[in-house]
Amino acid sequence: MTINKRITVITDPKYNLHDTGGGEHPEIPERLQIINGRLTSGHLAGMVDFASPRPATRSELMAFHPESWLFRFEEAVLSGRTYIDHPDNQIGFESFEIATLSAGAGLCGIDLIEQDGLQGERIIFCSTRPPGHHAEPTRPFGFCFLNNCVLAARYWQQRYGRRRLCVLDFDAHHGNGIQTAFEEDGEVLYISIHEHPSFSYPGTGWAEEHGLGPGKGKILNIPLAPGSNDAGVLAALDGPVRSLLEQFRPEAFVIAAGFDAHLLDDMSGLAYSSELYGKIGARLAVWSKEFCCGRLVSILEGGYHLPVLADCVENYLSGLLLTKP
Amino acid sequence: MFIQYSMTPDPVTIGADMPVIEAAAMLRKKRFRHLPVVDGDGRLLAMLTDRDLRSACPSTVLSLEEREQVLEKVKATSISEIMSTDFVALQPTSTLDDALLLFQTHNIGALPVIDDQGRVIGIFSLNDMMTAYRRLFGLGEKGSVLVAIEDADDQAALGSLVNALERKNVFFTRLVRVPGQGREPDIVYLRVNTMNIRAVHRIVEDAGFTIHVPSIQP
Repeated sequence: MTINKRITVITDPKYNLHDTGGGEHPEIPERLQIINGRLTSGHLAGMVDFASPRPATRSELMAFHPESWLFRFEEAVLSGRTYIDHPDNQIGFESFEIATLSAGAGLCGIDLIEQDGLQGERIIFCSTRPPGHHAEPTRPFGFCFLNNCVLAARYWQQRYGRRRLCVLDFDAHHGNGIQTAFEEDGEVLYISIHEHPSFSYPGTGWAEEHGLGPGKGKILNIPLAPGSNDAGVLAALDGPVRSLLEQFRPEAFVIAAGFDAHLLDDMSGLAYSSELYGKIGARLAVWSKEFCCGRLVSILEGGYHLPVLADCVENYLSGLLLTKP
Repeated sequence: MFIQYSMTPDPVTIGADMPVIEAAAMLRKKRFRHLPVVDGDGRLLAMLTDRDLRSACPSTVLSLEEREQVLEKVKATSISEIMSTDFVALQPTSTLDDALLLFQTHNIGALPVIDDQGRVIGIFSLNDMMTAYRRLFGLGEKGSVLVAIEDADDQAALGSLVNALERKNVFFTRLVRVPGQGREPDIVYLRVNTMNIRAVHRIVEDAGFTIHVPSIQP
């Protein structure tokens, strides 16, 4: 079944300027180059257009990050430091500016969806770096500085009044920063499928955690053992994830779209196929249509095996279009 | 490893002449399951447990009238008549190992910590012990990941592994060598603090080790 939708990829060449020091750092500009190149030349090319992000404003960043962190981040960059707190979090002179532009991609995507209104059939994919889901309010973690998905969710709530949101995260690593943001929030559902925290950075995301206080029941962590493949993911999506979504009925989805659980990606011990991402996309398309008129924004998180990253993103977007990859 | 860093210092204590009813109310209010009973100088006389108190209270099987009769007798009873004076205790210099062995051997839920005069200076519960071991091994530490490495049959193995990691500036916080037992092979457990697990695996493999992938089949 083909639905006549367009894919808008929000990206910017400036993202290449976020300097992670070269060497063996996995979070490199080539990741976006290979994704954007495939979307321009692959079988989706005729359905893709590109849009530029705008930087997130200070006030939009402060929906999750206190000003003290923003100052510290800026100061570290301006003073020429090469990383903040840990060598994982490499920075260059442009990194603060680019991180705000990365955070702004999701906000732009949301603006486009809301402008389209009920007639909209647009798929939004933020092809952006640095990633965000490990960033905590006051400190960077795991290559992340500003939490792009959290900021997008808060923007959707505050600017457009969409209070009941689902942030669904299929990156191989648990989004500790997203859980921090929403752990005590009854309006936002955080669902994460990731490698078991005993074996995977950042060592968070236990199945026993369900949220606290007003947020109780609004966290669903699905840790998968190393070596887990498509079957485990599909069972989770078609089982507990679907049940919880049917109860919660979100007004919009923010998707933390990481592609590092692929078998060939050595940044995790999971073993997904490229085709699985198409199946994930297809399910999200059906659910977003069922619950919220298709309001869904996908924001790139991880994915570090360059050739296969392009395959996975292409399959995912094909799935969202409900076309076969 | 040391009890004095993990215990709850200056715990709530009670005197032996406290009525049973009052002691029961205190345990309920404070949500304790154990209370050290001390003399006027703070020296440990006994450990009072919620089990002792439940044994002293009338059975719900009795009629209301029968229960009230028993309760009258209980009200006049002090805890000295029901407390267990047969206790085990830790010293400030005790270790988590001491506590673990006592918990396992005596099937109890909390241990008093007493000084050389027998005065109660702390209490250490099973929960405190789980927390202490979590801290010791970094379980659930945000930003960390456990790497299991197949141990080489070489006394110098740990040294060469550490050198390889340090040469490449990999920050790690725990390194434990565990001899295998039964089906479990000899493993070195390493807790690293980095997202860049690819680099860690390369360093470990270049140093001649094999990453151990658990044989849990999904």
